[in-house]
Amino acid sequence: MLSYITRRLLMLPIILLGVSLLIFSMIMMLSPYERLSTYIKDPAQLKGIDDVDKLVVKYGLNDPWYKQYGRWIGSVVKGDFGWSESGGAPVTQAIKDRFPATAELALFALFPVILGGIFLGIFAAVHHNDKWDHISRILAVVWWSIPTFVFGLIILMIFYGTLGWFPPGRLDNWAMAVVQSADFVNYTDFYVLDGILNLDFAVVFNAIRHLIAPVTTLAILWWAFIMRITRSSMLETLRKDYIRTARAKGLNDNVVVYKHAVRNGLIPVVTVAGQMVLGLMGGLVITESIFNIRGLGHFMAQAAQQLDYPAVLGGAMYFGVLLIVINLCVDLSYALIDPRIRLE
Amino acid sequence: MNKKLIITLVILALVIVGVLFYSNQPAPETKKEEVSVSNPDTITKVNMGTIDSLDPHYQYDERSQEIYVNIYENLISFKQGDMTKFEPMLATKVPSDQNGLIQDKGTSYVFPIREDVKFHEGGTLTPEDIRYSFLRSLIHDREGGPLWMLYDPLFGVGGLADITKELVGVEDPKTLTAEQSREVYNYLARTIEVDGQNVIFHLPKPYPPFLSIICHDNGLTAIMDKEWAIEQGGWDGSPETIAKYHDPTKEVDPFYDKTNGTGPFKLENWVKGESITLKKNDDYWRAPAKVENVVIKMIDEWSTRKLMLQRGDADIVYVDNQYLDQARDLDNVKIISGLPRPYTGVGLMNWDIVSEGNPDVHSGKLDGKGIPADFFSDLHVRKGFVYAMNYQAFVAEVMKGEGQQSRGPIPEGFLGFDEDSDLYSMDLDKATEEFKQAFDGELWDKGFEITILYNSGNDMRKAAVDMLKSSIEGINDKFKVHVRGVQWATYLDKLIAGKFTLGFIGWGADFADSHNFAVPFMRSDGTYGAFKGENYAKFAKDQEVDELITRAAELTDPVEREKIYQELQQLCYDYATDIYLYQPAAHLVMRDWVSGWEYDPIIHDGVNFYYLDK
Repeated sequence: MLSYITRRLLMLPIILLGVSLLIFSMIMMLSPYERLSTYIKDPAQLKGIDDVDKLVVKYGLNDPWYKQYGRWIGSVVKGDFGWSESGGAPVTQAIKDRFPATAELALFALFPVILGGIFLGIFAAVHHNDKWDHISRILAVVWWSIPTFVFGLIILMIFYGTLGWFPPGRLDNWAMAVVQSADFVNYTDFYVLDGILNLDFAVVFNAIRHLIAPVTTLAILWWAFIMRITRSSMLETLRKDYIRTARAKGLNDNVVVYKHAVRNGLIPVVTVAGQMVLGLMGGLVITESIFNIRGLGHFMAQAAQQLDYPAVLGGAMYFGVLLIVINLCVDLSYALIDPRIRLE
Repeated sequence: MNKKLIITLVILALVIVGVLFYSNQPAPETKKEEVSVSNPDTITKVNMGTIDSLDPHYQYDERSQEIYVNIYENLISFKQGDMTKFEPMLATKVPSDQNGLIQDKGTSYVFPIREDVKFHEGGTLTPEDIRYSFLRSLIHDREGGPLWMLYDPLFGVGGLADITKELVGVEDPKTLTAEQSREVYNYLARTIEVDGQNVIFHLPKPYPPFLSIICHDNGLTAIMDKEWAIEQGGWDGSPETIAKYHDPTKEVDPFYDKTNGTGPFKLENWVKGESITLKKNDDYWRAPAKVENVVIKMIDEWSTRKLMLQRGDADIVYVDNQYLDQARDLDNVKIISGLPRPYTGVGLMNWDIVSEGNPDVHSGKLDGKGIPADFFSDLHVRKGFVYAMNYQAFVAEVMKGEGQQSRGPIPEGFLGFDEDSDLYSMDLDKATEEFKQAFDGELWDKGFEITILYNSGNDMRKAAVDMLKSSIEGINDKFKVHVRGVQWATYLDKLIAGKFTLGFIGWGADFADSHNFAVPFMRSDGTYGAFKGENYAKFAKDQEVDELITRAAELTDPVEREKIYQELQQLCYDYATDIYLYQPAAHLVMRDWVSGWEYDPIIHDGVNFYYLDK
């Protein structure tokens, strides 16, 4: 297994190089003036420019592609991914600044989404073709069909606009002032965790209060998806001979379902969950925008829109690493769930 | 299993109850009569868009300007709520002919400097800080920055590169040697003299807009503390180091995220892309601000901004025109609208389109299947287009009445704007008449095909182009107008490369003077004038447009100046140089517990928080 992991990790730089070359070549298809829009974001900024070509030269936009790529890769080797105009900071700093918000949301969303989805899927499979199955299937179709921005806005309107319970952002102003004060140590920039470590439970509760609405939005939308996968996989497993044998032996139904069937039924769910983790860790553009969470999704969308290519390339590197690590974890968990699977 | 489930649910319920009741922030009530001021010490404003830089000499965008206005100060400012009157700020008097502080026939301005003014970091303001700040700003002169405004009155050129080229034959100031740098520095420094507690500016010739340019609202002449700036790694004050400190990128600019002004607020925290927090300056030389904190959040999603306003978590929010009606429906919210904004929206016509590799001119010939490069050089074509625009519908429907039709480049509130001047309105008969005469009648017989672009996402521009298309195609079956939305990057590319045919664009005031509108739109080398090609330059030369603009900027008599600006406005009308479409109105949407706000047209929806209370 060790050699399998090493082999996969050794692929990482090659994949990243390929991805960066691909993105770079796509960016180079645009004219230097088009790429200048990274620095001139609207017409008002044309005011002070007496010679646009000077700016093109200043940012080296008319150099041949290999020179520009060489410059970029040269600084990447030194750990400098360039300056992100849309992030207002060096790319690595911009990603680092936004990572905690995305990761905290992902962490809080992950368990309710996966466990809730699996539970609902099993529940529907066990009640195959009875009213509970029909109700959950209808709900799943309805939930999965609702666009995130609609559902997110509904949640925000009800739980913030009307009830005032779960406000947008990561913290209220007063809690933000506490977190930014000199007395508060930001160990991780995960506000819930930092609040616990600083023994400031008002901050912890405030951070959780701000997480409930986006987590609920994500949970309900993703439950539908995970539930359907789990349900169909479980149905298939429950029809297998060994389940029939277990039942014939007179085993308790709960033991049959939760001990014998679930393990096999979970393989496809793990694959989907891996993709879900990737999606969550990469940031969620719409959820982050609606709930005003300054995360990676919103940042990457802005960077792409603004042709902020250092940020786009830096983001691609981040996603590349994430993709490979998460896929590796998924592969490893296959072996964990089903010992018959051997990683060679 | 069931027991576990029940326990889990009970724990979950307890956590939710805990979160709701122990997070120290009771939810405000929604009923109107029960609303009490939330966070009375803090004004929260929710904006759209991001702050570019906190360096006042670098920034050139509205969001950064709003921060600078509250942190830094200039020698003088506008009287609150009145753009036509100045009042002293870090100077103790506003120079005028009457008080004898404008001398040498309008070429010397004397500013007595205020004493006992403290910077946020503790330094005391001296006249040398003023001199340093102006020189640092002039040396800094980043490409694409605002310094052209100061180079024009002080040196009659567009930037530092013009001076280095003329003086020492160096095109790029970043390549100056120490010796050349010293020569250039001496040239720059002779314009700003410190004499005891006075700072004197020497201009080569009279330049009436000078005071508007150095006035508060314009960051390029904000005052920094010399010692502190040098300590932070700013220009070291040496005559020999211009190359090192000229045109820095944000990465190396020490003042990108550090501030030290003399203003009513100091920077507490800036989370890029998310929020900025300002704290009251208790040692302010005037009475301290009325609120302790200002928090400006950046939220692009309108629904979120609206809910925050509704809940009272935001005191002031940015609202696009299209959402104003929604804001009007909210309780306890006041909307101040209809404020004239110094901004001109125009359909820019390219008199000399670059046809090569340009699909938007189609065949590129006058053959009914395209347009020639000089399409808009023909006065009758331009007039045809100008008469085909439905101005009334645009203002009423697209702008929802929040603005008015432009009368030329100069907007209302500025010298040269005349509410009785000639004004185009949609007249398809006249448009037909003009098109029939265009290209000696050839255009009418053969027709044309043109593509007009707009930058996607800008619905106002799209509406303007759609209106033109509908009118023009209705005039003659052989006239074909295609409308295409492109990303801003492509739009910019087309403008710069001279490949746009007709493009809608706008210009907002940098300083309160008509010169700031006449130059970009009309001068042959102006920001937009230069995009219009050689044919426009020839027209500008024939009509002496450039000379008129220069003369107006040098005259000290406002009556004479006004005549020239009116003449320039009339030229735009007579020759239908462009489609002058709209001047928008500004508005501000805030909770009704906010008081003290007065309109500042230069920063329009930006806010000077010094005067605000709640």
